[in-house]
Amino acid sequence: MSRHSVINRFGRSTNPAFSRGFNSYPEAYMDEKMTLDGAVNKTGILLALCFSGALIGWNIPALTLPGAIVGFILAMVTIFRNPAKAGSTAPLYALAQGTFLGGITLMYENAFDGIAIQAIGLTFGILASLLMCYKSGLIKPTENFKLMVVAGIGGIFLLYLVNFIMYFFGSGFNLLSPTNGSLMSIGLSLGIVCFASLSLVLDFDFIEEGAEKGMPKYMEWYGAFSLMVTLIWLYLEILRLLSKIRSR
Amino acid sequence: MNTIIFGALAILSLFIFFNLGKVKASRKQLDRSKRINRFGNQKPNNIIEGEAEEIRKRW
Repeated sequence: MSRHSVINRFGRSTNPAFSRGFNSYPEAYMDEKMTLDGAVNKTGILLALCFSGALIGWNIPALTLPGAIVGFILAMVTIFRNPAKAGSTAPLYALAQGTFLGGITLMYENAFDGIAIQAIGLTFGILASLLMCYKSGLIKPTENFKLMVVAGIGGIFLLYLVNFIMYFFGSGFNLLSPTNGSLMSIGLSLGIVCFASLSLVLDFDFIEEGAEKGMPKYMEWYGAFSLMVTLIWLYLEILRLLSKIRSR
Repeated sequence: MNTIIFGALAILSLFIFFNLGKVKASRKQLDRSKRINRFGNQKPNNIIEGEAEEIRKRW
C-alpha cells in the first residue's frame, strides 16, 4: 500500500509521538515561550534541590549508590524518552544526584580535609567565569567548537566505559584512580576538567538560542537540566583532580 | 581560611551567575554567521488568535 493510499484510507496521523523532535511541537506547548529568566530560575531550583539531596547523602551515606543509580535512570529518561517531561524528571534527578554527591563528597572529605569546599568554589568559579566569557562574546561556540567538544567527551566516556568493564575483571586504568598523583594522571584529569568546562559553554548557547527562537516553556527545564548534568560532572572531576594533586 | 576563601568564591560566582545569566548575550555573540543551528529556522508562531468563520461555497 502506498503512502498516499494509507493517508487516504486512515487519514493523517495526529499522534504526537510521530512528530516529536526539536523542530515540531504539540500546540499545547507553544502557549508560553522559553525565557532566559525562566531557565536561570529553574537552574536555581535544581541547585537548591541538589544541595538538599547532598545534605541527606552526607548524613546517610548508605544512599550514595541508590542515588547514583536513580539519578542515572532519570537522566536517561529525560534525555531519550521525553524531554517535554523535564519539568517533573529534572527536580527528581537533581535530588537523587545530590544524595550521590553528598555521599561521595563525604568519602573525599574523610581522606582530604577541606577538599569539598575547594571543589565547590572552583566549580562555581568556572561556571561564572565561562558565563562572563560567553556573554561578552570572548568564547564563540561554532559547529567546529561543538564537534571538538563532543568528540572529546565521546573519547572520555569511552575511557570511562572500558575502565568500568575492566573493573569487573579486577583491573582498570590506574590513571583514573583518585589517589594516583603522577603527572600523567593529573594531566589527564586536567584535560577532562577542560572538556567538562567547555561543554558548559554549549549549554549556555543552547539556553540562549532556545530563548531567542521562542522555544516552548518546557525547554527551560531541559536547559536547566543539561546545565546541571554538566555541573555535576565538572564537580566530580574537580574532586578527583584535587585528590590527585593532594596525593602527591 | 580555606573555607572562607572558597566559600566566598562560590557565593560570589553564584551571585554572578544569577544576575548575568538573565542578561542577553552581547551582539558580538548573537549577530555572527557561524552560530550553531540547533532548532532549525524556527520562527515565532504568527497565528493571530480570534474567531474563525467557516467559508461555505455556494455552487
